[in-house]
Amino acid sequence: MNTALIFNFARQDLKDRYAGSILGGLWSFIMPLINILIFALIFSNVMGAKLESFGVEFAQYGYSIYLISGILAWNAFAATVIRVTAIFHEKRTLIGKVNLSLRALPLYILLTETFIFVVSFGFFTLFLLLIDFPLNRYWLFLPLLYLAQQLFAYALGFLLAILSVFIQDIKELTGVLMQLWFWMTPIVYVIGILPASIRPYYNLNPMLHFITAWRTVIIDGQLPSLLPLATLLLFAIALLAFGCWLLQRLERDIRDFI
Amino acid sequence: MIHVRRLSKSFRLYRKPSDRLKEILLRRPCHHNHQALHNISFTLNNGETLGILGQNGAGKSTLLKLLTGVLIPDSGDIQIDGRITGLLELGTGFDHALTGLDNIMANGLLIGMSRAEILAVRERIIEFSELGEYIHEPVRTYSSGMVMRLAFSIAIHASPACFVVDEALSVGDGHFQQKCMRRIRQFRDSGGGIIFVSHDLNAVKMLCDRALVLDGGQIAFAGDAEGAVNHYNRIMARLDEQEARIQARSRRSQSYGTLEAEIIDAHLSGEHSGCDTVAAGERATLSVTLRANVPLEALSVGFMIRDRFGQDIFGTNSFLLGEPLRLNSGERCQTRFTLPLNLAPGKYTLTLALHSQDNHLEHCYHWCDNLVRFEIAGSHLPLFSGIVSLPTQIRHHPL
Repeated sequence: MNTALIFNFARQDLKDRYAGSILGGLWSFIMPLINILIFALIFSNVMGAKLESFGVEFAQYGYSIYLISGILAWNAFAATVIRVTAIFHEKRTLIGKVNLSLRALPLYILLTETFIFVVSFGFFTLFLLLIDFPLNRYWLFLPLLYLAQQLFAYALGFLLAILSVFIQDIKELTGVLMQLWFWMTPIVYVIGILPASIRPYYNLNPMLHFITAWRTVIIDGQLPSLLPLATLLLFAIALLAFGCWLLQRLERDIRDFI
Repeated sequence: MIHVRRLSKSFRLYRKPSDRLKEILLRRPCHHNHQALHNISFTLNNGETLGILGQNGAGKSTLLKLLTGVLIPDSGDIQIDGRITGLLELGTGFDHALTGLDNIMANGLLIGMSRAEILAVRERIIEFSELGEYIHEPVRTYSSGMVMRLAFSIAIHASPACFVVDEALSVGDGHFQQKCMRRIRQFRDSGGGIIFVSHDLNAVKMLCDRALVLDGGQIAFAGDAEGAVNHYNRIMARLDEQEARIQARSRRSQSYGTLEAEIIDAHLSGEHSGCDTVAAGERATLSVTLRANVPLEALSVGFMIRDRFGQDIFGTNSFLLGEPLRLNSGERCQTRFTLPLNLAPGKYTLTLALHSQDNHLEHCYHWCDNLVRFEIAGSHLPLFSGIVSLPTQIRHHPL
């Protein structure tokens, strides 16, 4: 399976979303823009005020920046997991007709989601520049952070995709669990509002560390603590290796079932 | 060149897919096996056409899927020098929202071509597909024939080592089908291999150098096309017999008459083929077994050949042939008609009747519509047009 094919899948994926609409590809820019505007202008006033009543202090737009930096990273993560999980189901007719590498097929989803993330993040940066929010040199670390996070998403989705061929409920279940996971992660709220007794358990949530790292760079202008990130990276690689091993063992069955 | 050695494929049938995981975890088998292909070996040389025959479920599509790599075999190996394309992918690789032009790229990449390769043959693909300006329209606006034309054009221009021709080819109109066949021959002459999967026995005889007959996942016959077609027919006849027993009752209902005389059995058999598929021009014998239930003075046995449109082609009876029959009550008789079947390839039926003298309207004892079926495939005659070949002599007189 060549790279041109994967790029073509990604291009088709983006095109299909808005195929037939008048603005076409422009929508891939409009939607993230609207999202950013909603978070920046509306949520900052409503939710920010609410959180202040818990004793959390935010400067003007402070909550918006807090929310957007978390939610953009989360969206890329969640969409990748959910879509990679459904990949064999979505492309079943193609897999049944043409010899495609099951290992490389989901890569195009990574490309599509990266494109959407980059566009959204571009608008976010623009917003930060407009309100004179300082950027810092640790931003150079962000691509690496993004890669580590998406590798984790891909590995997780890939494993779930293999299992979902045998247990179809996994596809539905993933959507529900991702919702749950979203609220278990301090994206909309701050960890400070939680009772201190459950905070240690929060450290077991991998996404907490990724989201915190994004904020450490963007808001605090510091290098995030590398130990949890390095651990997660190793974990993601191990997960991916396990997925590949499982695929090798089950590929015959997967192709038979599809 | 394709080299297949001792290929076997079985499907494990589970009641539900999750049983497969249960099996791994509990290490206890939860399936029963279905052997789809067993010990298949063959070679397809460059420039050769191999036919694959077999009834539904004989393993034809499993074999094709193994060849294209969509399924993974249990054992055995497949060697292919290059890629294998065909109309298997018809439509499935197309994104109906994209234009024909975009789909050439998408489909080409899908069947393993590189971007540069596609750009190099793109103009030729468009030209061959005869889509003209429609190539800039979304594929969803295409007719099924247009989709097929585009799919075929891409597949044949992908310079495959082997091209698979299957029933999907029968979608297009006559003109394009002929164009496809010409292009396929050209492809073969330039050294490409062809795998031809069809139920059109005549086409198999005309096109294939060799053929395989698959039956229950095994190779029942491998050899020349004519032999394969005959073998295939014997398998089908075996099935027909089973079917005939089941249908015996319903068939009787399609017949009518006073039953003063009855047709008990009838079959047609070619002199060479020995079965109900005969070559055009081959002599065949129609045997009719009958029984009189009352004494009959002047019984007439007759048949009518009809084509697949129900059009009468030819009929006669023992009275017209000057051989009337006289039977006592309970007496049985077998009447044999031998005639050269100078008919065009296709499927035909025989309607049989027992009646008095030449008049089946007044005293019809037993009338059986379409009791016997037969097929003309291949030809011992010079090529001709129309449905029947009349013996023709020709001489040129110089003036």
